[in-house]
Amino acid sequence: MNLLTFFGLVLKSSLFSTGGMGNVAGLHDDLLPRGWATEREFAESLAVGQVSPGPNGLWVVSFGYLLGGLRGALLALAAICLPPLLVLFVERLYRRVRDHPAVEGFMRGLALAVVGIFFVVLIGLLRGGGGPGVQSALIVLASLGLGITRRVPVFLIIGLAALAGVLLR
Amino acid sequence: MTMPPETPGAPPPAAPSPWLVLRVWFALGLQSFGGGAATLALIRRAVVEQHRWVSEADFSRDWALCQITPGINLLALTILIGRRLAGAAGIAAALLGLLLPSAGLTLLLTAFYARARHAEAMQAALNAVIPATVGLGLLTAYQMARPPLQSLRAEGAGYGLFGVALLAGSGAAVLLWHLPVVFVLCAAGAVSAAVHGLRARRLAQRARAGSR
Repeated sequence: MNLLTFFGLVLKSSLFSTGGMGNVAGLHDDLLPRGWATEREFAESLAVGQVSPGPNGLWVVSFGYLLGGLRGALLALAAICLPPLLVLFVERLYRRVRDHPAVEGFMRGLALAVVGIFFVVLIGLLRGGGGPGVQSALIVLASLGLGITRRVPVFLIIGLAALAGVLLR
Repeated sequence: MTMPPETPGAPPPAAPSPWLVLRVWFALGLQSFGGGAATLALIRRAVVEQHRWVSEADFSRDWALCQITPGINLLALTILIGRRLAGAAGIAAALLGLLLPSAGLTLLLTAFYARARHAEAMQAALNAVIPATVGLGLLTAYQMARPPLQSLRAEGAGYGLFGVALLAGSGAAVLLWHLPVVFVLCAAGAVSAAVHGLRARRLAQRARAGSR
C-alpha cells in the first residue's frame, strides 16, 4: 500500500462527506477494489473507534494503524484534521449566501445520500462479520435496542457484545 | 442545570490564554467516551455553562455551521470555538488538547488489539462486536436522517417522500449499480438543490401575485 495515496484517499472521502463516519462509504469504494483493506479491517477499526474516546471519526486512526502501522495512523489523523478547517471558510461564506434556498437544498440532499450509502456499508460489514447468522441478527437488534434507550454507554454495549461472543463460541 | 441569570452590564469573562484552552480541551478529550452526542454535551457544558466563554446562541449557530462542513463535525466545532477563545493559537490549542488523549488512546487500543487479533477468543468476540457496531450504526443512520427528513416533511408530504426516495435511491445506486460514491453524493445534492430552489421561486412568485 502506498501511504501517500492512502493519505489522499482518506482526505478525499472526508472532504466529500460530513460527520465522522460519512467517509466510510468513500473509503470502502476506493480501498476494497485495490485490495488495500478488507471488510474485516473496516469492521475492526469501526469497533475500536466506538470503544475509544473522542469523536467516532477517529476510527480512521485505528484503520490507518491496521493498514500501515504508526505512520498509517498518523497520516490518517492528519487527513481527517484538514477538512474540518474548512469551517472557517464555511462561516465566512455562510454570511453571504445564507438566504439562498439552493444552498440549504444541497446540504439536505447530501445528508440524505450519506445515510443511504451508509446502509450499504452496514450491509457490507455484516457480510464480512463471520458469526452465525441468527446470533448476528440478535446482536444487531439487542444493541440497537440498548442504543435507543440512551441509558447504556456505547463502550458498554460493545463490551457486552464481545463478552457474549466469547461465551457463545 | 442551574444557570445564574445574566447580569446586564456585568463584565464579560476574560479571554482565556491558549494554555488554559489546551488544558480544558485535554480534559474533554480524555473524558469523551461514548461517541459524538456525549462529546458534544461535554463540550457544551464546559464552554457554555462552566466557563461561560460562549453564549448559548453562539454555540448553536457554530454547531449548525459544523453540520454543513466536510469531515468530523466535532473537530469543526473545536476549531470555531478555539478561534473564539484565543484566535489561531486557540484553534491549535483546542485541536491538540482534544486529539492528543483521544487519538492516543485509540492508537493504544488498536495496537493492543493488533497483537491479540489472532487469538480464538478475540475472533469470537469480534464476530459479536461487528453486529453490535451495525446495530449502533443503524441508530446513527436514523439520527443523521431525521433532521433533513423532518424539515422536508414540514414543507409537505410530497417533499417528505422525495427525501425518502433520495435516501433509498442513493443507497440503491451504490449497492445495485455500483456507481462511485462521490458521484452519487454530488448528484443527490444537486437534485435536492434544484427541488428546493424551484420551491422557493414558486413561493416567491405566489407571494408577489398575492401582494398585487
